[in-house]
Amino acid sequence: MLVSYNWLKDFLDLDIDPQELGEKITRTGVEIETVTHPAEGLKKLVVGHILECEDIEGTHLHKCLVDVGEDEPIQIVCGAPNVAAGENVIVALHGARIAGNEKIKKGKIRGIQSNGMICGLQEIGFSDSVVPKEFSDGIYVFPKDADVKPGEDVYEALGMNDYILDFDITPNRADTLSMEGAAYEVGAILDQNPKIENVVLKEDGDDWTDQLEVKVDQALAPRFYLRKVNNVKIGPSPLWMQRRLWNAGIRPINNVVDVTNYVMLLTGQPMHAYDAKTFANGKLEVRKAQKGEKLTLLNDKEVELDPNDIVITDGDKPVMMAGVMGGKNSEVEADTTDVILESAIFDPTLVRKAALRHANRTEASSRYEKGVNWDNTQKALDMAALLLRNDAEATIANGEIKATDTEKKPAVVKTTISYINKVLGTELTESEMKKIFDRLNFETAINGDELVVTVPNRRWDIEIPADLVEEVGRIYGYDNLKSTQPLLAETHGGYSEKENHIRRFKQIAEGQGLMEAISYSLTSPEKAVRYNLEPAAPIVEVEMPLNSSRSAMRENLITGLVDAASYNMARKEDQLALYEQGRTYDHANGEFNEHEHLAALMTGDVLDANWQHENEKIDFFYLKGLVEDMLTAVELDPEKVIYQPVDNVPGLHPTRSAAMYLDDQYIGLIGMVAHVVTMPDKAMRNHEIYVYELDLDALIPMLKDGMKAKPAPKFPAIERDLSLLLDKNITNQQVVDVIKSAGGKYLHQVNVIDVYEGSHIDAGKKSISYKLTFLNEKDTLTDEVINKAMTKINDDLKEKLNIIVR
Amino acid sequence: MDLFDRLKEIKEKGIKNIQDADNQKALEEIRVKLLGRKGELTEILHSMKDVAPENRPKVGQEVNQIRDLFQTSLDDAKEKFVQAVIAKRLEEEKIDVTLPGRKTRLGSKHPINIILDDLESYFIGMGYQVVQGPEMETDHYVFEMMNLPKDHPARDMQATFYINDERLLRSQTSGDQARVLEKHDFSKGPLKMVGPGKVYRRDDDDATHSHQFQQMEGLVIDKNITMSDLKGTLEMIAKHMFGQDRETRLRPSYFPFTEPSVEMDVSCFNCDGKGCPICKYTGWIEVLGAGMVHPNVLENAGVDSSVYGGFAFGVGLDRLAILKYGINDIRDFYTNDVRFLKQFRKEEK
Repeated sequence: MLVSYNWLKDFLDLDIDPQELGEKITRTGVEIETVTHPAEGLKKLVVGHILECEDIEGTHLHKCLVDVGEDEPIQIVCGAPNVAAGENVIVALHGARIAGNEKIKKGKIRGIQSNGMICGLQEIGFSDSVVPKEFSDGIYVFPKDADVKPGEDVYEALGMNDYILDFDITPNRADTLSMEGAAYEVGAILDQNPKIENVVLKEDGDDWTDQLEVKVDQALAPRFYLRKVNNVKIGPSPLWMQRRLWNAGIRPINNVVDVTNYVMLLTGQPMHAYDAKTFANGKLEVRKAQKGEKLTLLNDKEVELDPNDIVITDGDKPVMMAGVMGGKNSEVEADTTDVILESAIFDPTLVRKAALRHANRTEASSRYEKGVNWDNTQKALDMAALLLRNDAEATIANGEIKATDTEKKPAVVKTTISYINKVLGTELTESEMKKIFDRLNFETAINGDELVVTVPNRRWDIEIPADLVEEVGRIYGYDNLKSTQPLLAETHGGYSEKENHIRRFKQIAEGQGLMEAISYSLTSPEKAVRYNLEPAAPIVEVEMPLNSSRSAMRENLITGLVDAASYNMARKEDQLALYEQGRTYDHANGEFNEHEHLAALMTGDVLDANWQHENEKIDFFYLKGLVEDMLTAVELDPEKVIYQPVDNVPGLHPTRSAAMYLDDQYIGLIGMVAHVVTMPDKAMRNHEIYVYELDLDALIPMLKDGMKAKPAPKFPAIERDLSLLLDKNITNQQVVDVIKSAGGKYLHQVNVIDVYEGSHIDAGKKSISYKLTFLNEKDTLTDEVINKAMTKINDDLKEKLNIIVR
Repeated sequence: MDLFDRLKEIKEKGIKNIQDADNQKALEEIRVKLLGRKGELTEILHSMKDVAPENRPKVGQEVNQIRDLFQTSLDDAKEKFVQAVIAKRLEEEKIDVTLPGRKTRLGSKHPINIILDDLESYFIGMGYQVVQGPEMETDHYVFEMMNLPKDHPARDMQATFYINDERLLRSQTSGDQARVLEKHDFSKGPLKMVGPGKVYRRDDDDATHSHQFQQMEGLVIDKNITMSDLKGTLEMIAKHMFGQDRETRLRPSYFPFTEPSVEMDVSCFNCDGKGCPICKYTGWIEVLGAGMVHPNVLENAGVDSSVYGGFAFGVGLDRLAILKYGINDIRDFYTNDVRFLKQFRKEEK
């Protein structure tokens, strides 16, 4: 709501600097987003009276002789279509500044001297949306009755010597969506009682109340008041009203429509004016729309009405979408003579939904949905009639129709002075508190500590004691509250155990040189399961996604990292080491499940390219090493992890990928990103990208709490090498399993030190060499013990896998 | 020749030989010649019987002195050769230390998590528990329990991704508040928690909007918590985040789950309140929303609002990171461009 400082002066004695007032209101009630001064930056803009105006032949230009209050009139060339002799207009003199800090200078146009410029409203800073339609494509012409003299500054007449405070209201403060409401708020802040005037209306026409049969569903419109004015003369509104409207951001239209808008701005009560012809058949009904009904709104939008829209009908067809916008078929037009005025209360939720449904929020609907002041229904109706008599020479028909007239009692809230003080941390006395409610114009009854507050109907946001706490707090001033720390019994801060474990995994990843990424949880349904073991759990999809690439919740983190790789590689960044820790989501077993995962992606080389040419390509085993190190760092035994080759993960290379199992439990995937993913992507094509993903929810329960340190072993370890020639299809895992089971209790470690396949050995065979480490932490190991273990290993390898030790 | 003259000659000749030796091998030969079993000095000692008895001690003394002198000289000469060998080897081993090192990969934290970690550790130090809740929350916890019944106008303020009628992607972390309030046993002490996490809104992504971002929620409930406590707490948070010399202001605001509700602004750290594009020429930057927990929120969770009360606050972590690091496009947080991410290796909070 744009609130004019000058208009506020109708209600309050203001001598405070408008900027300072804005800051006060911000700190006390409603955020004032901006305080603007429309005349700011403008210079030498005066009223001019056009004495003569002649067409310049062969052009669209006019040569005008303009009285600008100087001894001699000045000559100005003007191209506007609506320039004419006899008009009072806005003249930018030589040296003037107009909107956009543009300077106006004397000069020649088509060789003809022009000593200034005749301006349209947009040219001096008005927004297109408030300029009256008749002036939208030309210069502005002051109305005949405007009290302006040639040579005077235009700012006063156009309402530009004002300050506009933009009230950025929260939904609970709809009371400030009117000048009266704003005046109450500002009055409370400045400790002034606003002068709110009542309307005294004397009707001067015949009774009309039997002309219309009105049927209203009380649930839809608890209050529905109508008046009729006759013999209106449609024309422009007086300038004072127009400038109040445009300063509030509303375009002046004609004297009838303007009155309804003006009254809404003043009282907060939305009004509507119908051409009385609309109800020529003597019927008006307020009801819900029927399926299939249509209405063309005043903004020319044709809407298909919903059975939950409230409409006003002529007994047959809708003529207005209640609380939102009038219909074209009941519009007040130039030839309208009789007008029916409506001042009503509609159901806020139904109005809000209708406005949303039809994407047609209006000044009226936004007030209805947040709550209008029921005490102003009557006042608004009478005020509108009165103004129409003044501005449009209307006569006011006798009587009003109140089809529904539900009473609304003010809220009465009981609390105690001590409660308010307790919540705020203040020590306000009874009289200090009463004073605050007086400033708000709330009635109070105080009995000892007990406080009973009667809340005026304009304030919808006050129902419970906590609401009163806010009123006292803000008027007392949050700046005046003490700053204290809660005095509490001791509490122990910290992370949950699970969170601590997750943080450890993240630290390790960062220590391994991985950069943390955060991706979107929403992805496409296909990508959501692209890096999952098949069959993946059912995916979670959102209703009304923003687009199809963000419609499903990811079931793996790799997909986000691969997106990041594609993005980076398209920018020539092809040395990547990324990780993400976050959740995956699925709908397995009909539940909404969230799992903590950690995934990593690497591509390129281990080191930056260097002058020594010492480097190593990132491959499957580099990433596997990272996983093994990570598990080691959290005291899980990486040698117990079973790597099961997988060829059915859609996004992973079918012969270079594995599922990982620890103690028979699935803990994640590792592998190369499949060619089917990288090939179609120009940037990723021809790069080997490796990824892994660990299910932290599976790993964390396996972690052991606590640890005991032991001294370093006193006795040295002894190493033996073992070279094997074996069938190609025997896996390392099979061999290691045999070695370990046969190696005895001192076999400490088994390392692969060489793998060879090729021309020096038989086809179908390969050779693997192992280094076996034996350790007895308590005693020196003898050759005898080790030889015995080696013999057993050799025997078992031969027996179980038919492997010959070389 | 007198024996003493001979000794003198042996001494002078020996020293000269040592000095003239030009390699370690020659020096060794000299050593053998001078001090060896067949050396002249040894010979003199062996022929001591020919020396007059009264001269014997003096000759012995002289011979020993010369031996010592030779030994020292030989050692010195040898050391010189050793040094030369070492010097030669060092010269061969010399490297250009200005050549670049081999660079390995440096890990880093995501900027939002740098901010989050810092806030978490700050709150943990003040006795807050860090609590995590589900992102696929129910309408019940995100809205109903938070005093936002269906048809509440404030629900329009946040367009929500629904999964079905009851389940949604949480648009705020406040659902965690409700869950913790339900569970907390107040007989065991006050409740102090922060709840960070991802939230989602149906906003098209642009420079200032993201359909996914991160928030942190805070909640303190006990018997005697005041709005002055809230003010004091918020001021400390603001100063922790933006510096001790920041001014703060509280503005009335509206959230369905708090009453009174406030928003806190800090004086702009860029222009110090004079007005600049960052603060949109207001001198103030909005950093968080807060308020005293609405009695309905307490009652909905089964907490007696006539006995217990307290405050809650919420802060947008993306926004904080944007402010702190001078970032002008929120999408930068989610494209994971390594050229952007690597700047944060410093982990500057």
